[in-house]
Amino acid sequence: MTGKEDTERCTKILALLPRFIENDFTVEESAEILEHLSKCPACQAEYESMKRLLNTLEDMPSIGVPRSFKDAVMRHLPPSKEAGDS
Amino acid sequence: MAGQRVLTDSEVIKAVLGGDREAFGGLVERYQKGLATYIYHMVHHYEEALELSQEVFIKVFESLDRYDGQYKFSTWLYKIASNHTIDHLRRQHMTTTSIQQREDDPDMPDLPLESATLGPEEAYRNKMLLVEVQKALKDLPPSYRELILLRHFNFRSYEEMAKITGLPIGTVKNRIFRARQILMEKLEEFR
Repeated sequence: MTGKEDTERCTKILALLPRFIENDFTVEESAEILEHLSKCPACQAEYESMKRLLNTLEDMPSIGVPRSFKDAVMRHLPPSKEAGDS
Repeated sequence: MAGQRVLTDSEVIKAVLGGDREAFGGLVERYQKGLATYIYHMVHHYEEALELSQEVFIKVFESLDRYDGQYKFSTWLYKIASNHTIDHLRRQHMTTTSIQQREDDPDMPDLPLESATLGPEEAYRNKMLLVEVQKALKDLPPSYRELILLRHFNFRSYEEMAKITGLPIGTVKNRIFRARQILMEKLEEFR
């Protein structure tokens, strides 16, 4: 393959990676991507980085909510609408 | 005796609309943590996040009779939260300093360093990376930040994200791919 073909293949694979990483791909796409990743360290590195970013985002911690939060919400609820209210 | 069955969201809403105000507390308990965290990562201020979360629950209560049962309650809840939080950020942007100029929240939750599976060095590296990711996330435009949070923190489908934000699915996908790219470009770890 020529250098130009390599670049074009990389561009195509990089465009497919965002969907591939979310398991949204066809069988043919998957085979093509996996084959390319096994031969191209640059695209493989991009794929690993993307996975690491997503894992980090998915590990973001939840904040603690005070026990009094629910009571505060309930205290501030407006009066219920009565039947016949306009 | 068998344990009490947990009511579905629809059953709780029916009870509230039937006059049982206290039942609304069940919905608050069910969603408060996820909602407050989502808002926290949008506004980066703990007290503000709690206050906005409270306002969202009150809005939800006020408009509960307009809830359309064909949608998941959580999708509707996050739609209200999304509108409320984006409005808040817009108002804040117009009336005070820019979001980037605000100081970091001193109440920003500290992240545990200990891990059952990672050594101390890797756990420390992961913590630092998480802090960097949170900073990079803060610099994203709110409309992009919101999508990243809905997708990767709340694990929403693209269909749900489209309903929450009112954007076409194609736009949601394009923006989230772009947002991830921006995050990767900002983070030294990924360069």
